[in-house]
Amino acid sequence: MPASTQSPTISVTYSAGGRLGLEAEASDADVVRAVLAGDVDRYAVLVRRYRDRYARYAARMLGSRDVAEDAVQDALVRAFDRLADCRDPTKFAGWLFLILRNRCFAERRRRQRERPLTPGDDGFAAPDRPDGAYDQLERRTALQRSLGHLTAEQREVFVLKHVEGMAYEEIAQITGATVASLKMRMHRAYDRLRDLMKGHL
Amino acid sequence: MAGYHPLVKQVLDGELSLADLPRDLRAEGEEAVRLIQAADHAPVTLSPAVEQRVMAAVRAHASSPARRAWRWLDAPRDVELRVRVRPWVVWSGALAAAAALAILFLRPAASPTPSTQVASRDSVFVRFVLYAPGARRVAVAGTFNQWDQSAAPLVPAGTSGVWTTTLALPVGQHQYAFVVDGERWVVDPGAPSVDDGFGRRNSLVSVARGTRIL
Amino acid sequence: MNRVRVFLQLVLLAALPGTLAAQDVGTRLDGRVSPQVRQAVVKIAADAAARGLPVDPLVEKAIEGGAKGVPADRVIAAVQALAGRMGDAMTALREGGVSAPTGDVVEGGADAINAGLSNHDVQDLVRASRPPYDAALTLRVAATLAALGVPVNQVLQLVEAMISAGRSPGDLMSLPAEVETGIGRGATPAQAAAGLTRAAAAGRPPVPPGQAKSGKPVNPHRP
Repeated sequence: MPASTQSPTISVTYSAGGRLGLEAEASDADVVRAVLAGDVDRYAVLVRRYRDRYARYAARMLGSRDVAEDAVQDALVRAFDRLADCRDPTKFAGWLFLILRNRCFAERRRRQRERPLTPGDDGFAAPDRPDGAYDQLERRTALQRSLGHLTAEQREVFVLKHVEGMAYEEIAQITGATVASLKMRMHRAYDRLRDLMKGHL
Repeated sequence: MAGYHPLVKQVLDGELSLADLPRDLRAEGEEAVRLIQAADHAPVTLSPAVEQRVMAAVRAHASSPARRAWRWLDAPRDVELRVRVRPWVVWSGALAAAAALAILFLRPAASPTPSTQVASRDSVFVRFVLYAPGARRVAVAGTFNQWDQSAAPLVPAGTSGVWTTTLALPVGQHQYAFVVDGERWVVDPGAPSVDDGFGRRNSLVSVARGTRIL
Repeated sequence: MNRVRVFLQLVLLAALPGTLAAQDVGTRLDGRVSPQVRQAVVKIAADAAARGLPVDPLVEKAIEGGAKGVPADRVIAAVQALAGRMGDAMTALREGGVSAPTGDVVEGGADAINAGLSNHDVQDLVRASRPPYDAALTLRVAATLAALGVPVNQVLQLVEAMISAGRSPGDLMSLPAEVETGIGRGATPAQAAAGLTRAAAAGRPPVPPGQAKSGKPVNPHRP
């Protein structure tokens, strides 16, 4: 028993969600748990943290910053809705990425259905230049548009490798495909892109 | 147009350098590299309005009745403890929860057994409750906050005389005690205690990521 | 064309281990303890560091004394005593075949000694703690069990029985909770520990806390 107390004291300790003092110190896991315990406003910490983190991936996958913004927003809201399913709160970042990835793939499928892209109907034709030399910017735009004509899987492996700079092994872990099948996809993408970029290289 | 030569593709994959290509493939290789280099690496910044829009949706979703069913196993659903004054009984149930206390979330079955080394940024929420009806202020001080009694005050939970707070403690073992009215150091009678070296005792709490749920 | 792997790290890797910033002992004590204590503890810490003992527990103990308003000489004595226990633990560990004990293991050993285990007991536990059992964990669990009131010889029997039975380190960590549950049901700490030892030796998994024989979970908060 504790020394010299006037009233009997009993204490109980058990785990629960709770408040954290400083946002800057709060890990993703801390914030996830706080949100799940009912502090919904705390989710803003994760929104701020991850708003731009995967924006480039979404923009390259979807071909437009605006569409990417919608996708990132939707992914963040969906991540909130499904937060109780996040089995490991310390891996929130990866889990959020997968939600965004699914959303990007779904968006592409939707757009394909509504307006199938065929080369040539996006108003993008190679100007006729004798020496074949092109502005960096023009080539960049041309590539981005060409990416839109790849399959979603081809596009993704290209973006993850050549925009995000990942190795095949890393991409394999994220996508669940084998390195061999990723290389096959990528090599088909190279050929397709060569064809689409005719005159721009 | 024919596709790229397999060796050129290896250059694109980063497995070969341009210089490794035979002379007759050099031009094709350079063209391919121009293609890859046209990839846009510029980081993309989204509008600051994203946060507002997301939080508006989040708050709307949170207040819908369907939200109630959080499948979070450790949620403090029954916060109304039946706190009874029984000084001669050790609240074993309390500590059964407290020691495993740490069990914050289910890990997948195949995960490796947890280590107690304090080696990660992970924290676990621990709730401290003290029944001290005559107190004017109560705090918990311990190794996790350098024994600073202003760092973790408890707040009264209603008028029952129960004081409470929840802290995020890093994984590991911690010593602590309650400070009542700024001067009375009180151990947790429900927790194991150790000699503090000063003639008093400190309570122990072990915090670890676990594979079981209580 | 290597990019920063921020993307990948977020997606795949767990948080990296934190490292404690090496801070000057004196700086950490400034404002928390009296100058007299500060001076003494800086010296004790320097001696301890020279012997390869962890310094943080000494600083924390001094700060604790300062926070509790303990007189200077008592604080110094307590810090000295802690350094002594850690030194004993270090010796016991080295004699037990651990050539370079980590700070955690030394602290664990000191806790165990503080809880009433002998140097010999510490050695026995360390020897029994081959991978996947981590010596610091075993020592901590043993110290906590002793703190609960389990007699020392039973602490050793229980921990060693769990290890021999091949129980997971997680089960080892749950031992204090299991003993608590037993105590809550009216057993003495010794009886609770004995029951768990028998269960371990017989290869039966202990009944999880809260699970009565009927299989219905018991509300731990019911008085």
